[in-house]
Amino acid sequence: MPFTAKSGKFNASINTLTIGTGDKAITLGGENVLPFYTFDAPIENAPKVGIEITDGGMENEPECIQKCYEGCTTVVDMAKAAAAMEGVEFLSLRLEGGDPNGLNKSTEELVQIVKDVAAAVDLPLVVCGCKNVEKDAELLSKAAEALDGRNALLLAAKEENYKTVGAAAGLAYKQVVGAESSVDINLAKQLNVLLSQLGVNGQSIAMNIGTASAGYGFEYVISTMDRIKAAALSQNDATLQMPIITPVASEVWGVKEAVASEADMPEWGPAEERGIDMEIETAAADLVSGSNAVILRHPASVVTISKLIKELV
Amino acid sequence: MTLFDVVFKGNDAVYGLTEQAIDAAIEKHGADKAVAFPDTAYSLPCYYGVTGTKVGNLGELKTALGVVKTLMTRNPRLHDGFMSGIATALCAEFIEVLKYIDGAAPYEAPCYGHLADAVIRELGVPLVTGDIPGVAVILGAAPTAQEGVDLIKSYQAQGILVTLVGGIIDQCEELGYKTGANVRVIPLGKDVTAVIHVVSVAVRAALIFGNIQGGDAAGLMKYTFERVPAFVNAFAPLDEVIVACGAGAIALGFPVITNEETFRVPKSLIVQKDVSKFNATSLEARDIKIKITNIDIPVAFASAFEGEIIRRGDMQVEFDGSRVDCFELVQTKEASEIEDHKIEVFGPDIDEMPVGSKQSIGYIVEVAGKSMQTDFEPVFERKFHSYLNCVEGMMHTGQRDMIRIRLSKDTYNAGFRLKHIGEVLYAKVKSEFAAVVDKCQVKVYSIAEDCTKLRHELAIPAFDKRDERLTSLTDESVGVYYSCIMCQAFSPSHVCVVTPERLGLCGAVSWLDAKATNELDPQGPCQVITKEKIIDERIGEYEDVNDAVRKFSQGALDDVSLYSIIEKPMTSCGCFECICGIEPLSNGVCIANREYAGMTPIGMTFSELASMTGGGVQTPGFMGHGKHFISSKKFMKAEGGVARIVWMPKELKETVAERLNATAKELYNIDNFVDMIGDETVAEDPETLLAFLEEKGHPALTMEPMM
Repeated sequence: MPFTAKSGKFNASINTLTIGTGDKAITLGGENVLPFYTFDAPIENAPKVGIEITDGGMENEPECIQKCYEGCTTVVDMAKAAAAMEGVEFLSLRLEGGDPNGLNKSTEELVQIVKDVAAAVDLPLVVCGCKNVEKDAELLSKAAEALDGRNALLLAAKEENYKTVGAAAGLAYKQVVGAESSVDINLAKQLNVLLSQLGVNGQSIAMNIGTASAGYGFEYVISTMDRIKAAALSQNDATLQMPIITPVASEVWGVKEAVASEADMPEWGPAEERGIDMEIETAAADLVSGSNAVILRHPASVVTISKLIKELV
Repeated sequence: MTLFDVVFKGNDAVYGLTEQAIDAAIEKHGADKAVAFPDTAYSLPCYYGVTGTKVGNLGELKTALGVVKTLMTRNPRLHDGFMSGIATALCAEFIEVLKYIDGAAPYEAPCYGHLADAVIRELGVPLVTGDIPGVAVILGAAPTAQEGVDLIKSYQAQGILVTLVGGIIDQCEELGYKTGANVRVIPLGKDVTAVIHVVSVAVRAALIFGNIQGGDAAGLMKYTFERVPAFVNAFAPLDEVIVACGAGAIALGFPVITNEETFRVPKSLIVQKDVSKFNATSLEARDIKIKITNIDIPVAFASAFEGEIIRRGDMQVEFDGSRVDCFELVQTKEASEIEDHKIEVFGPDIDEMPVGSKQSIGYIVEVAGKSMQTDFEPVFERKFHSYLNCVEGMMHTGQRDMIRIRLSKDTYNAGFRLKHIGEVLYAKVKSEFAAVVDKCQVKVYSIAEDCTKLRHELAIPAFDKRDERLTSLTDESVGVYYSCIMCQAFSPSHVCVVTPERLGLCGAVSWLDAKATNELDPQGPCQVITKEKIIDERIGEYEDVNDAVRKFSQGALDDVSLYSIIEKPMTSCGCFECICGIEPLSNGVCIANREYAGMTPIGMTFSELASMTGGGVQTPGFMGHGKHFISSKKFMKAEGGVARIVWMPKELKETVAERLNATAKELYNIDNFVDMIGDETVAEDPETLLAFLEEKGHPALTMEPMM
């Protein structure tokens, strides 16, 4: 009996979501097949790759990454350099200095950096908070105001602060709202529903379903992503059809495998190579599990992951 | 004169004034003269919101007035009254916009007049999040300046944004009361038409935040009614113009509260003679709930103190329900019977109680709310234990009329008194159950005779009634079941179907709990499951239940039965209190509870059974369940019910004995059924167990084979 291939194309699809404006704007989602299943149906919008810098500038970066930004002194310099790197399709600015338990930089100071970076690059922008829900509410609201007209992604609204972030980003300034939950399909769904009830258009939400570095409870991330994509496509669950964006960099560059120096761990080999490997492995797994965009830190990882995507889509 | 006549008359008067003003302006400036409010994208926001037309010049304004005229129909009907109110508001906007011709700045401090779009975006966020819980529009002069300022202060204390129009502005100045956007008190203007500037805020909120398109008048009114928590406080005397404006406010969903004896319209035009009660009346009318952020007690309140033990030597006083009469009770009341945040103490305070003494106490938390149900009372009450334990230096055990509370000397010395018990309960009930509790008051009784009387005449009958309700709740008597997917974080495909006679397998979620959880958190883990389409009554299978299980398990499960262990049994997450498994030799089942560490006649320990049963997969022959389910008439109903139970650990047997015996008596007319059930002292292997069962004449032996 001859083998007849059956198309695994679904009747439902992931939402199409545009971030940024003008020629450089990127579009996520739109597919009606499982990740990279281009043999079932064409995938119009390939997953996108972004690069991350922080408000801390050069001092904040591991040595190997500082090298890539040689000659830069300010965050704006770094933003410009990052925007010119191969494979970079959007820029993510992480405002980690705002953390009240860390440097506790003022909202005004950080929003000024956001404004300066926005003025310096025309790439689509993602602004990430400092992971403190109260500060993020304030920070991301003000960033939404400062980026009026840029169609930026504010990452992210969480269950504790979704009203403030959602209202400012999604309602007052019509930006794209990131919805962050912690590796649980029901929580992801609940947050999308709550944001929709607030009045935020479901078509302008991107999910961060929670992330981890490979090897650090990563199997939960993968299975959650799998299940979300399955519910979105096979069950046509509109509350889970938002594209997924995964901030890989901030997780990977915090684990010992990526940051321990070669002097401390000679048997692990060169530190830079390890960091890049961790980042590429994590991002590749996120992508095949359903991420529509990944945020990376090392320019070499960006190049490799872009190439991977190009080969597959 | 009817209310309609007053509205129509006021509307006509304002219309006349507006027409004159526009004509005069055209005469002076010409019809092409540009006209619009500054710093807004909507020109005349209210007119744009209602009609979708942006007025650009005086000529167009005159045309717009013609459109307004078409709203002014004169049938004595509600619709005509509302539309005339809207027409009056639009006229006010026209009059106000004329003041801004040629870039004039018609308002000077302290008045703001028109507010820019930027201000609305800024105010909009806290309004959406509820950080600004409401918007008060105070119109006219209060009976005295002090009363006016006190009212403003009361709103400020609640975080409500206050806007002022007319005489109240002068009254603030008279007393030197600080106003301004930074203190959330915004004087708009002294003419009554200035009220349009706050209406404009509401309209633009709908346009900006609600994505309402200009011209969608119905959508606009729906948005302002549902999402803009504004209300009007209009001081006497009210003239026709104010009443007509008020009709406009009501059309947008904003109730008007006044101290003038005038027409009353339920929920919309409310007469409250006592100005000091304007605040409470307004909040109730507009259904505004104030978030409670701090608990007013002299000691700390944190979960860190939950496990604190107060030793006898450190104890100031003890309330001990096992020795004297004590009780705690939640009661649902009508909203009119409750004054929110009223805490009353009847009897002597702790100061008058000898140190180290045992005293009586009774506290009743009375609640009211549109969505409140008496079924929630025990759910709230069960939380009191944790609330009171969180107080530094306070220990609470037990529930209902078997409570014991100890208060430490340190906490007493810090100033803690009986009313603070009320403060804690008030603050927690109001904040944690805000979805269903609109108003709450607490009564604390400390006289022994009162406690005895109330315990026997009020509390015990209430508890009995609840117990009766619980026993009368059957799977057949309720209209819906509930899902519970709280455990999906670690057991992704498991779904509990919670019914009155089959509580969640963790033992912690009864049907009433699930119902309350659903009401309090409509998007949460407990969702309503209908039970209209029965497939098989014997095993308890429903089409609706299957649909729900399929949905909530994301397609992992297709069908479950509620009452069978063999056919499509319900799945287990891993939190089961007990596991029940088939014991083939005796044709029955063995149950092991989590606490039991030994061997069962099935040949597996609890942990070994757990590894078979958990993970959200259907394992025919094994079932996880709560302890309470053991005595349910629905326990394995499809296979013959509780008569199948042949073995349980001794401790578990003792826990369930009384109720299980009652069930067996009712179902099979067997006395002392529990004595027929084996335990670890009888047997840990099937052969010995069988011999025991034969000796006792256990009913399972003669039942149909299970497999």
